Amino acid sequence: MECYSEQICEVFVDGELPVDEARRLRGHLATCQRCQERVDALRSENRVLSESLRELPDEEASLAAVSRWRLSRGWGDLALLAAVLALGGIALVLIDDLQIPAALEWANPFSVNGFTNLLFNVSDYIAQGGTAMLTEYAAGVGGVVLMLLLGGSVLMLGRRWRRRQPGLRLLIVLLALSLPSFAMEHRHGQFVTVAANETVDDTLLATGDTVRVEGVVNGDLLAFGQTVEVRGTVKGDVVTGAKRVVVTGTVEGRIYNFSQSLDLEGQLGHSLYGFAQSLRVDDRSHVGEGVVVAAGEVSLEGDVKRSVDIMGSGNADVSGSVGRDLTVFGGRSLTLTDTARVGGNLSARVRELKDVHIADGATIAGKRDIQLQVRQSPYSHPRFYFHQAIWFASAMLVGWLGLVFFPGFFRATTQAVGSGWTSLGLGIGVLAGAPVAMIVIAITLVGFPISLMLLVVYLTAVYLAKIWVGAFLGWLLLKPAGGTKGDWVLGLLVGLLIITIVGYIPYLGGLVRLGVVCLGLGAFAAQLYRASRPGMTA
Amino acid sequence: MGPQPRERETRQLEGLDLASVIERAQGHDAEALGEIHHRYVRRVLGLCRYMLDSRETAEDATSEVFLKLQRSIASYDGSTPFPRWLLRVAGNQCIDVLRRSGRAQKVMVEVDDGAAGIEPTSSEPSPLGNVIRMAEQAEVRAAITRLPENYRVPLVLRYYSELSYDEIGQHLGLQKNQVAVLIFRAKQELRRKLAHGSK
Repeated sequence: MECYSEQICEVFVDGELPVDEARRLRGHLATCQRCQERVDALRSENRVLSESLRELPDEEASLAAVSRWRLSRGWGDLALLAAVLALGGIALVLIDDLQIPAALEWANPFSVNGFTNLLFNVSDYIAQGGTAMLTEYAAGVGGVVLMLLLGGSVLMLGRRWRRRQPGLRLLIVLLALSLPSFAMEHRHGQFVTVAANETVDDTLLATGDTVRVEGVVNGDLLAFGQTVEVRGTVKGDVVTGAKRVVVTGTVEGRIYNFSQSLDLEGQLGHSLYGFAQSLRVDDRSHVGEGVVVAAGEVSLEGDVKRSVDIMGSGNADVSGSVGRDLTVFGGRSLTLTDTARVGGNLSARVRELKDVHIADGATIAGKRDIQLQVRQSPYSHPRFYFHQAIWFASAMLVGWLGLVFFPGFFRATTQAVGSGWTSLGLGIGVLAGAPVAMIVIAITLVGFPISLMLLVVYLTAVYLAKIWVGAFLGWLLLKPAGGTKGDWVLGLLVGLLIITIVGYIPYLGGLVRLGVVCLGLGAFAAQLYRASRPGMTA
Repeated sequence: MGPQPRERETRQLEGLDLASVIERAQGHDAEALGEIHHRYVRRVLGLCRYMLDSRETAEDATSEVFLKLQRSIASYDGSTPFPRWLLRVAGNQCIDVLRRSGRAQKVMVEVDDGAAGIEPTSSEPSPLGNVIRMAEQAEVRAAITRLPENYRVPLVLRYYSELSYDEIGQHLGLQKNQVAVLIFRAKQELRRKLAHGSK
C-alpha cells in the first residue's frame, strides 16, 4: 500500500481525519515504519508548538514579570520628572509635614489648592516686576523656580536624548540650555500668538500674559504665562507652566503640564503628564496614550487610549473611556458614571468608601480594587517610638562627634543661633536660595561637581540645624556656669528633647521644625561667613 | 463596608471554583467578573498577541474581550469548558480586528490557490524535534509571531486555543480542508524559518 502524504498524516495527528480513513491509516502505520516515524515526528512537533505557545512572546513575558506597566519611554520620562521634582522639592520637604485643620485648608499655602494659587500669583507678580516679594515667598518660589526650570527643560529635551543615560541626558540638557546657539525661537510679549496661517519650524519658547497658538508649531512648544491656548497644531511636545492651559487643537507629542487648570478639548497624540489643580479631559478629546497627573479636581469625559493614573486630592469624575487601567490614588471622591468604561482594572485609594460612586451602567473589564487610605496615627505604633529613639540617639551622637572634631565651629554656630531674627532670615534665604544657586552653578556644566558638593553640604547642614538649635536652646535653659563638653552635650539633650516633642504638636509642630531648620541654617551660614574671614572670628 | 471585609471577599473568590465564579458573574457580580479577568487576562492577552501583530492592538483587543464579557457571559451555557469558550470569544474578537483592518481577506483569498494540498519536496525541513530547550521555545515563539497572518491565525487558533478545524473554519469563514491546508503550510513555513534562523 502506498504511503500517506505528510498533510494527511498531519490531519490525522490533529485528530481531524474522518473515522474510517483514520482507521485505515492506523492500519498502515503498523506496517510502515516511515509513516510511523513521520506521525511520531508530527506529534512531537505539535507538542512543541503547544508548549511554546504557553508563554507570551518574549518581550511580553519579561515585561509582564516586571509589572503590569510597560516601561515605555514615557515612563522613563516620568521617572526623570520625578527625580527632578524630588530634587526641586528639597525646599518644600520640610513644609510637607505641616498639618492644618480642614476648615483652614484654604489658607494653607502648601495645599494643592493654596499652593497653586500662591505659585501662580507669585510668579505672575514677580513677572510684573515685584521682585521684592521674593524674600517673603522665598521658600515657595525657590521650589517653583527649580521645578519649572529643571522639570520643564529636562522634559522638553528629554525626547531628543532619550536613548542616553538619564544623568548624561540631564547634563546635555543643562549644557544645551546654557548655549545661545540652541535652535529655539523665543517670543515674548504680553500677547504672544502664532497666527492661524503661520508655521513655526523650530521649538518655540513663548512667554507672556497670554500665549495663543492658532497655527502650526513643527517643533516643541514651551509656553509660560497666565493663559496658554493651543488651538492649532503642535507637532512636538508641549511644556506649559501657566495659570490656565486650554488645548482645543492638536498636540501630536506629549503634554507636560504644570498649571492651575488644564482643559483638554482637542487631540493629544501621546501622553499627558503633569500637575494641575483642576484637570478636565473634555468629551471631544482623545488621548492617544495615557494620562499621569497629580491633580485636585479631575473630570475625565473623553477617550484615553491607555491607562489613567491620578494622584489626587479632590474629586475625580469619570464619564469617559479609559482603555486600560484606571488608578486613583488619594482624593476625596471617585465617581464613575453610567457612560464610564474602563478596559482594565480599577484601583482606588480613597479616604472614605462612601465617597466612591460607581454607577451600575459603568463598565469595568477587570478587577475593582477600592481600598481605604488608612491614616493611622503614627503615635499608636510602637515602631514610631523606635524610629524616634534611633533618630534621637543618632542626632546626639552626631552632635557629640561634631563637638569632638570641630569644637570651635560647633560652639560658635550654637551661639550664632542666638542672633534670632537674623539667623532666621538668613536661614530662610539659604534654604530657598541654595537649591537655585546649585542649579545655576550646575548649568555652567563646569560647576556641576561643585553644585553636587554644595548639595551634600546643604543637606548636611539641614540635618545639623536641629543640633545647633537644640544645643542653643539647652544652653539657654540650663545656663551652665562652665563651658565643658559635658554641659554642651547635656544642653543638646535637653534642647533636642524639647524640639522633638514640640515638633509633634499638630499643626504647630511643622512650623516649629521649619523654624528650627531655618534658624540652624542661618547660624551655620553666618558662622561659615565669619570663619572664612579670620579677622572677624575674634 | 470597610476594606477588610472586601479583602476577605476577594480572597474567598480566589479560592472559589470556576463554576461558582461564573455563576456569580452571570448574575452581574462585579467582583466575580473581576476575578475572571484576573484568572484569564494573561491567557487571552497571549492569544491576542499571537493573532494580532502589535502588542498595542493585542492589549486593546484583550480589554475589549473582557468589556464585552460583562454582557456575553450570560450566554455561556457550560457545554464547553469555560477557558475554551473564552478563547473562542477572544479569537472572534481578534478576527474582527483583523477584518476591520481589511487584512482578514488575505486569509480567505490566499488559501484558494493551494486548497488541493501540496506534498513537500524532500528538501523541506522535517518536523520540529522531540526535545526542545527553553531557549528554543523562545525561538519558536518568535518565529510564530513572524509568520504571515494567513498562516499565523489558524495555527494559533489550533495550538493555542485548541480549536478544531471546523471551529477554526467557522471563525475564518473557510472550509475544513482549507483550514488543514493553511495549518500544514503554516508549519512548513515555521520549520523553514527556524531552520533558516539556526543556520
